[in-house]
Amino acid sequence: MNLPSLITHSSLPLCVNVQLNYEQFTLAISQKFDLQGITGVFGHSGSGKSTLLRVIAGLEKQVSGNITLNNKVLADSHTKQFIKAEQRHIGLVFQDARLFPHLTVLANLQFAVKRCQHARLELNEIIQLTELDTLLDKHVDELSGGQKQRVALARAILTEPRLLLLDEPLSALDRQAKTRLLKLMATIQTELQIPMLYVSHSLDELQQVCDKLLVLAQGEVVGYGGIHEMIHQLNYLTTTSQTEEIIHQQTSLSLPIKHLDNGYGLTVLSLNDDEEIYLPVIAKQTTAQSLRCFILARDISISLMEPIHSSIVNHLLAKITTITTQKNMALVTALCTKHGEAQEFFVNISAFSQQKLALSVGQKIYLQFKAGAVRTYLY
Amino acid sequence: MINPDLLALLTTLKMAVLTTVILLFIGTPLAWILAKTQSRFKVIIEAIIALPLVLPPTVLGFYLLIAFSPQYLPGQIWQQVTGKQLAFSFSAIVIGSVLYSMPFVVQPLQKAFEQLGDPLLEAGAMLGAGPMDRFFHIVLPITKASYITAASLGFAHTVGEFGIILMIGGNIPGETRVLSIALFDHVEAFDYAKAHVLAISLLAGSLLLLAAIYLLNRPHKRSINKVVNK
Repeated sequence: MNLPSLITHSSLPLCVNVQLNYEQFTLAISQKFDLQGITGVFGHSGSGKSTLLRVIAGLEKQVSGNITLNNKVLADSHTKQFIKAEQRHIGLVFQDARLFPHLTVLANLQFAVKRCQHARLELNEIIQLTELDTLLDKHVDELSGGQKQRVALARAILTEPRLLLLDEPLSALDRQAKTRLLKLMATIQTELQIPMLYVSHSLDELQQVCDKLLVLAQGEVVGYGGIHEMIHQLNYLTTTSQTEEIIHQQTSLSLPIKHLDNGYGLTVLSLNDDEEIYLPVIAKQTTAQSLRCFILARDISISLMEPIHSSIVNHLLAKITTITTQKNMALVTALCTKHGEAQEFFVNISAFSQQKLALSVGQKIYLQFKAGAVRTYLY
Repeated sequence: MINPDLLALLTTLKMAVLTTVILLFIGTPLAWILAKTQSRFKVIIEAIIALPLVLPPTVLGFYLLIAFSPQYLPGQIWQQVTGKQLAFSFSAIVIGSVLYSMPFVVQPLQKAFEQLGDPLLEAGAMLGAGPMDRFFHIVLPITKASYITAASLGFAHTVGEFGIILMIGGNIPGETRVLSIALFDHVEAFDYAKAHVLAISLLAGSLLLLAAIYLLNRPHKRSINKVVNK
């Protein structure tokens, strides 16, 4: 498919400098984004992530501060400027799809096309891309949750937005529909190059498709940076804070694919040039050059000797950089270095094991994990 | 010469149609504001609009009669602008009907707008639709049933009013003599045969109109099937 890219410049600068007060909740955010690819917004419920999207979209009017997109003012409470939501050229996919119940699927899509001034995208191509061909004549209440969100996504794209906001679009879907929509989001991103801000409370979903991650807590920014780096930072946050234990401590990776199938049903990824990581075959055929995957900290174990007489296929030599103990568990951070490249790994072991092995910072150890512990969503 | 009862029917229809059209135009923004506002004054406006539901029509008629007379400001302004007296005119009974039937139009619309809420309007805005566009292409088609209800109730209620028209309109053939008043005339003159004709027509007409509303507002067949299948 040959779709025109909607964005000509490489990245879209977004400056958010806002404060919003509700009775029980305050949002105070001052953050500059260089929107490129998919930027994730992560936080627990009540952290203000959906409100942030509504502020950027122009759906929250009682905001003090200012927002600029591509150096154009969207809102400024000081100069009383406020561009209405319908004039911002920003798309928003809601958690509950919000399709028009009096229209068919096709008419829902045409609603967007009619109000789009440039109309560079072909309706039929977007219908194909989002696999809606067979659903066009259906009424909205005949659709499944996943189908509804695909229509909502197609409808938002057809307005040809400068920025696409996604507010927990997967939260009401089952796993299969989630995977399908995540893949679709990634495809749309590569085909159309629309910068996206993707809000979710699921780190697993964000890990799969985001390039950067913004972390919010209690209406404030906790951190902003590259996806892997931010997920690794969150590992420490869970050990120090007593908040809800939704975040699974993990090692987040993007690795080049060396062999798609080594003949034994395993896919081989390459780490630091000549180390190898094995995982169950991801797909018979894929054009992907690299793979986004994660290994939960509790799935990795530590051995003091090289485990060559073991069925566990993955083992790597690493050096312990930190040990954090909380209650009966220890979070060990270890660095695999080779050819000047380094990869950090996070390991959860019991405090008992840590004592038994007498682990200390600077010590050389072997990390081991089964092929099945290397997880990925998209395949 | 035209049959006086037929003339009364024409006057009634003219009054009711005009009243309904005016009410839909006034009632829509009023119902919209009431559905969206969180102002403290909301309850006061709601109470004023609902007043004709409980007030004897003669009370409203009495105050309107005073207001419409040339001695008071509304009546004076009307006379200066149009050159005609407002009290005992066709215009007077239309204005009276608008006030009297207001709750029957505003309340169903307000309820429909409240039920619709903001989600679909926000979705419309995010697709580039401005306020008028959103009203005509999202609100109106979705609340169509409530509009039919509001218009029918407003119309039927206007056809059936008596006391207020007697107070401010009197009984002028071709101008303010409507069916309900013609019926009253026949009864006063002990002409029960003619009274029966008018009474049974009003009864049948109202019944048919209400049946039509309930028929139109029945839940969609498709959604019934869906519930059964579940």
